[in-house]
Amino acid sequence: MVKLVNRIIVSTSARRNDVQCLFICLAQKNILIMLHQKKSSQQFLKKIIRIIGLVFFCSNILHAQQIDILLKGGHVIDPKNKIDEQMDVAIANGKIAQVAKDIPVKNAKQVIDVSGLYVTPGIIDMHVHVFNGTDVDVYIANGLTSLPPDGFTFRAGVTTVVDAGSSGWRNFRQFKKQTIDKAQTRVLAFLNIVGNGMVGRFEEQDTTDMNPQQTAYMIKKMFPDIIVGIKAAHYWGDFTQVDRAVAAGKLANVPVMVDFGEHQPPNSIEALFMQHLRPGDIFTHAFSYGPTVRETIVDSNGKVKPFVFAAQKRGIIFDVGHGGGAFSWRQAVPAMQQGFQPNTISTDLHAESMNGGMKDMSNVMSKFLAMGMSLQDVIFRSTWNPANVIKRPDLGNLSVGADADVAVFNVRKGDFGFLDVRKTKLKGTQKLEAELTIRAGKIVWDLNGISATSWEEELQKGK
Amino acid sequence: MALVRHHGKRNYKKVNDRLLKIIYEFEKILHGAMKFIMKSIFIFLFFVPFLLDAQQYDLLIKNGHIIDPKNNIDAVKDIAITNGKIAKVDDNISSAQSKKTIDATGLYVVPGLIDIHTHVFVGSTPDKFANGIYSVSADDFSFKSGVTTVVDAGTSGWRNFPLFKEQVIDKSQTRILAFLNIAANGMSGKPTEEDINEMNADSAALVAEKYKDIIVGIKIGHYTGSDWTPFNKALDAANKSNTPMFVECHLPQYSLQDQLQKMRPGDIITHSYEQITERMPIVDSSGKVRSFVLDAQKKGVLFDVGHGGAGFWFSQAVPAFQQGLAPNSFGSDLHRFSMNAGMKSMLNIMSKYMAIGMSLEDIVTRATWNPAKSIKHEELGNLSEGSVADIAVLSVQNGKFGFIDAGGNKIEGNKKLEAELTIRAGKIVWDLNGLSAQEWKK
Repeated sequence: MVKLVNRIIVSTSARRNDVQCLFICLAQKNILIMLHQKKSSQQFLKKIIRIIGLVFFCSNILHAQQIDILLKGGHVIDPKNKIDEQMDVAIANGKIAQVAKDIPVKNAKQVIDVSGLYVTPGIIDMHVHVFNGTDVDVYIANGLTSLPPDGFTFRAGVTTVVDAGSSGWRNFRQFKKQTIDKAQTRVLAFLNIVGNGMVGRFEEQDTTDMNPQQTAYMIKKMFPDIIVGIKAAHYWGDFTQVDRAVAAGKLANVPVMVDFGEHQPPNSIEALFMQHLRPGDIFTHAFSYGPTVRETIVDSNGKVKPFVFAAQKRGIIFDVGHGGGAFSWRQAVPAMQQGFQPNTISTDLHAESMNGGMKDMSNVMSKFLAMGMSLQDVIFRSTWNPANVIKRPDLGNLSVGADADVAVFNVRKGDFGFLDVRKTKLKGTQKLEAELTIRAGKIVWDLNGISATSWEEELQKGK
Repeated sequence: MALVRHHGKRNYKKVNDRLLKIIYEFEKILHGAMKFIMKSIFIFLFFVPFLLDAQQYDLLIKNGHIIDPKNNIDAVKDIAITNGKIAKVDDNISSAQSKKTIDATGLYVVPGLIDIHTHVFVGSTPDKFANGIYSVSADDFSFKSGVTTVVDAGTSGWRNFPLFKEQVIDKSQTRILAFLNIAANGMSGKPTEEDINEMNADSAALVAEKYKDIIVGIKIGHYTGSDWTPFNKALDAANKSNTPMFVECHLPQYSLQDQLQKMRPGDIITHSYEQITERMPIVDSSGKVRSFVLDAQKKGVLFDVGHGGAGFWFSQAVPAFQQGLAPNSFGSDLHRFSMNAGMKSMLNIMSKYMAIGMSLEDIVTRATWNPAKSIKHEELGNLSEGSVADIAVLSVQNGKFGFIDAGGNKIEGNKKLEAELTIRAGKIVWDLNGLSAQEWKK
């Protein structure tokens, strides 16, 4: 009995500090005394409940007094919790502790004035290639075209990226060891249906290396916390690859992301949306224009094809996946004007997109502002929506208790231009800039030193 | 032809009329055709110079404020590029002469920036700089901050330089040059990095000679012993290869004064403005630059910023600047731990110096021509006609900005540099706001 009670108390106190532990010890001592006094079991239980309640109460009081970082005066946009107004955000022990108006500063170790700025959940970029390695002969898997994520994420407000099938079941463990385990950015992954991932276009045609069983095992049995879905891409043939990926998706109960191009002539996307994919599956490179190898969602007269709306209604997820060749104004602008919005905004970050029209996630988000999408919608499609698509509702929100992944944006005003992959430009007057990025409660990016003290002040203190 | 005609006229009545008429008509046509061809050739030849002239340049950047310290240019001018080289810098070059024209009104046009302190020997070895994940890829950071040339600061040594070249340098769009570490395997961590027996001046000089287009000098850093052998070997290798020596701070047992005394004119000390226990700071506790440091500067020792994660403190840099010890170059010490901290990019370091009070002209000098000279690559860092067309087009943002140093302390400023356009060997490799692009509907 004592052991049981202790276990309950200890488990509730897993992340408490010393003072809280003291309370817990006191509670344990009380219980031990009671056990020695041999009170009736009913009385005993009542007392236990009271003591446990007291422990929680006390630790919550202490909790409130120990805010590590308080973001004060910012405009919070948290789509999950329907917050879109000025509020303070308190962070403690790497978690969101409180989101409310006028949280007192006296309880905070560090207060950062974010007035005039937007505070959002850490951005989720659900299409990147980060299986960076040194094999100079491969395309993306363990190659130079993949990038180490940390140099691109935090400066754009991103705290979670999802690798889009750079690795398959054969080389995922290498990817994990080499990149995922070493990154500060949270790296999740779609596993390629091809066992070797994206070694090269030629290897990606090998249907004998598209094994739904192994792919599903790798997800379900090995890495359910990291692998969130399956990728099918770069296939020249019929629907075989997509169907294998969906078969694996059914086995592992995860979504499939499809890069559906490079067929000559193009395969029907209507068939893809309506017959082959399931609701919740993802069509990436939604605004790509390369009509000889990829059917477009906007027809040659500039009209969104009617079945595209129907597909979105059916539950097909349309992802941006900008990349180096997959985002054209001639597709995106008419689509937006006709009321077709992508479900998720993402970059398709790799070496051939990083310095082109894509640049980084905040730039891609700014493009949607330039096309008239509201800031709230842009944030929604870069946080809570992708979190749901990858079935990770623990991410992309600022609920109390969630990991403190937070982005603070400045909306710069001015004359800006945004390039697409065809090197044509759309002008805009607003641009998102990541002022501050927090990952699991730690400041990992601070553009203008809003969290820092003046050096002269520091020098005076030193003297 | 004249003969035929004469013949035709003379025998008009003697020969079959019909046949002659045909011949005559044919002749007339032929004559007309010849005249037409001659006329065409004449017209063609006449206009050839104009036709060539119309498309003489590949790219023209108009109306930008050019700062080219080597050539003492600091004025609004046009600059034309052909075949990856600077073709002409002049007051007014007609856009009719160029295939493509970019309007840079209100922007600064400067030589592609040179960052002489980076760690770009990126690989997949965990927790290492040499061939490891602590290094970063140059292209990921260079062009977006106007940098076209980086110099790797001794991440590789004579043993692993060939791997560095094959795996990184040859694959990079950014021009990568290198200081060769006197440690045989470069920054491979302890104990290999401190193995004196492996520090071979002859081997280092040999490799430096073999790859003399890439290797610009010899680096000494990261040695915790008190034995001067590593330093002397680096100096020896630098003498043998006739290159400058690049000296880092991570030599805690060597005194700063001794290091500076041993250094030759043209040798470079980095992390100049740091304030950590590993090396005596150049500014003393009363805020004065130590006299032997100023003596070293007088002697010709060059001071590089080498910002990094711990190498740049306002409490050192500001008093030093005020007392005349400005950096010769803005080496960023780019690596995994500086990229997201106070350092961010070389352009950000340059903006810090704007906040400290350095003029833009001075900043550009120390980001282009000065580092080019210090690494003995005088073909770089300038906009002379015939030079490779490495160009940065910068904007100066006005506003309220803050800049953080390695101690996490801030200085405020009202100006910030931003790279609008970066050109590497005549090719546009970065275009922030679509300066070079048409609007999508046009």
